[in-house]
Amino acid sequence: MDKKRLAQMGLLTCIALIIFVVEMQIPLPVPVPGMKLGLANIVTVYAVYRYTPKEAALILTARIILGSIFSGNPSALLFSISGGILCLFGMIFLKCFIDEKHIYLSSIIGAVLHNMGQVTAAAAVTGTMSVFAYLPVLTVSGCIAGLFTGICAQIAVNRIGVK
Amino acid sequence: MKKNKMFIIIIAVIFGTALICSLPIWGKPRGNAVNIRSGGELICTIDLSEAEDCEFDIKWGGGVNTIEIKDHMIHVKEADCPDGICIKTGWIGGENGTAPIVCLPNRLVIEPADDTSDGRTR
Repeated sequence: MDKKRLAQMGLLTCIALIIFVVEMQIPLPVPVPGMKLGLANIVTVYAVYRYTPKEAALILTARIILGSIFSGNPSALLFSISGGILCLFGMIFLKCFIDEKHIYLSSIIGAVLHNMGQVTAAAAVTGTMSVFAYLPVLTVSGCIAGLFTGICAQIAVNRIGVK
Repeated sequence: MKKNKMFIIIIAVIFGTALICSLPIWGKPRGNAVNIRSGGELICTIDLSEAEDCEFDIKWGGGVNTIEIKDHMIHVKEADCPDGICIKTGWIGGENGTAPIVCLPNRLVIEPADDTSDGRTR
């Protein structure tokens, strides 16, 4: 891995972390566990389309681990990780089908997968299937949030050329 | 281009299905009993229609949730979790929704139960 790329990845992780910390301050009107804007995933989506899968995974993992430390909520780590991994795999897979002009599509599916991973982890941890009652609501919010982050990532990918 | 259209349709179907499925969450619950689970284990089942007004604490790890039962409804009154979503979820039971109260940091779930045959009444 060359130095320049490593520095860029560090920068991306840092940007993602800043977005994550700022987003924590935004209160949500609806009290649904796991519902989030997920603005930090703009960086994830960007990394999936501009970096190799391994590099994107590194950026995401570093952001999730550091983010859970900064947010003072280490128990959220499990849910972020399971959602993040599912989302990442899904998007890397979708990258084969969806070109750079339609990133928002893969971002929406990524967000929905993220919610599924989260809810599954929550069900495993709490030992009850009833948390799946929140999955439809989370899917709706995931579609909207995914569209938004996808459009943001689209703008970033369009503006920042391949190095 | 055709492929992208296919994905748009898939997303539209997912979105539509989720939207329809998410409506019953605020509907009327089937029974009036709730299960309280902590750390993956069933702590107790409470029949809300018979329960008297009370308050109790559920502890898990380092976290505490104060649960209150009032007028045959149940809610989390206080919690030391970082987000406080369990408090904001509000009351369940009676005419209020079927969505469970979940406090993930403290691994607490209060869910509508189908029946109370095997549980204790508090």
